[in-house]
Amino acid sequence: MFAIETKTLTKKFKEKTAVNAINLKINKGELFALLGTNGAGKTTTIKMLSTLILPTSGDIKINGLDILKDRQKIKEILNVSPQETAIASNLTVMENLEFMAGVYQIKNKQQKIDELIKIFKLNEVIKQKAKTLSGGWQRKVSIAISLINEPKILFLDEPTLGLDVISRKELWKVIKELKGKITIMLTTHYMEEAESLSDRIGIMANGDLIDVGTSEELIKKSNTKDFEDAFVKIATGGEL
Amino acid sequence: MMRALNFSKRNFKELIRDPLSTIFALILPLFLLFIFQTIKIPSEQFNIENFTPGIIVFGSSFLTLFTSMLVSKDRASSLLIRLGVSPMKTTDYIFGYVLSFIPVIIIQNILFFILACFFGLQFSYSMILTVLTSIIIGMLYIVIGLLLGSCFNDKTAPPLSSIIIQLVCFTSGMYFPKEMVGDIFAKICGYLPFESCVTIIKGIMNNTIEIISLKNIVVFVVYTIVILVLSIIVFKKKMISDNN
Repeated sequence: MFAIETKTLTKKFKEKTAVNAINLKINKGELFALLGTNGAGKTTTIKMLSTLILPTSGDIKINGLDILKDRQKIKEILNVSPQETAIASNLTVMENLEFMAGVYQIKNKQQKIDELIKIFKLNEVIKQKAKTLSGGWQRKVSIAISLINEPKILFLDEPTLGLDVISRKELWKVIKELKGKITIMLTTHYMEEAESLSDRIGIMANGDLIDVGTSEELIKKSNTKDFEDAFVKIATGGEL
Repeated sequence: MMRALNFSKRNFKELIRDPLSTIFALILPLFLLFIFQTIKIPSEQFNIENFTPGIIVFGSSFLTLFTSMLVSKDRASSLLIRLGVSPMKTTDYIFGYVLSFIPVIIIQNILFFILACFFGLQFSYSMILTVLTSIIIGMLYIVIGLLLGSCFNDKTAPPLSSIIIQLVCFTSGMYFPKEMVGDIFAKICGYLPFESCVTIIKGIMNNTIEIISLKNIVVFVVYTIVILVLSIIVFKKKMISDNN
């Protein structure tokens, strides 16, 4: 059984096809990166996989559960860290963690919160209101919150977008620590991020999933010298 | 229900940490009550027994503004994306928003009564009943805010909510009898729920239940239920369309 499995997954917005019949199989514990240009369909794919929007057609199975029939059960086992920081701005970091623990009705609430504070080193900002935090801290808190329900599958939409190098590397460290323990699907613009973090990479362009493989496989397949060149060649169909 | 309570706790914190909310929900109605009692306008309308119910309903009308601001801001932020993938259901959101404003109504009423007693309103147990009635009356203003916040964005919903506040001022009879403006206006006021709200509060507070007509109750109940159902439908629809 795959953690995520899609069959001809399609999303249309009126005339525009945002995601075009993609077939995807992601193993349990795998870190899968969706890489693509702006408007490639990465975020729409994540929104469908995370139950936020309904597909126009096609099937999605999360841990063997059907996204339409078992929606409520699926919601219990996944979580998402959206592209923009998703935290309650007037609440402190601690209150944000407590709030989301309440949303998921976590039984060992305090223990879980303490664990996340330790992993993400949130102690120094724990009493600060979320809106007063720097972009890097907000993103860290946002990702910490998404682990509150110990999800089996975690979607990270552009987790390091707009962050400085140090904040980005810090987040990478945390994501690497999560690798293998849960299934992670992340979207990114950054080649280096996809290459460094993921087990496999899917390249999307204009709603199509063009290719899937490890970074080495994609470099080899495209007959290029590095991953950036491989991405450009695959995403543009060799036009650049 | 636990999820709704948890959500309402967060909403209440967001609300009380916004200084504008305190100014509009508490200080402005208190200021009006103070001013109109201090200048002693020679009109029955402004007797403390008649004016306090108007102030209570006027205070409640700000709940429309706060609810619409909170809902429309939540819709604009990514927080609702996070909540959208969580096991929270539409009823949890709606109850969460509604419940968060109940403490505000109670605080408002207590402060209004303290000031009204200072200006000569006799303390009575009917005040406790009035607080409970205000919670029910407040539902109407909360659900109007829910509907506006669900239909419009965070730039449009607050000004539209201000129209509701103005409607309360002009059509509830708190400042002048509706008949003063003419028959048609008086008829329109009768079909809007705001005058009924003031009459219900006035009847309970002053122990003059006979002034509350069946029409008052029907108008209030129908508006509240219809708007509640509409807001649930629109909120549910918007939760999906906002994420498209």
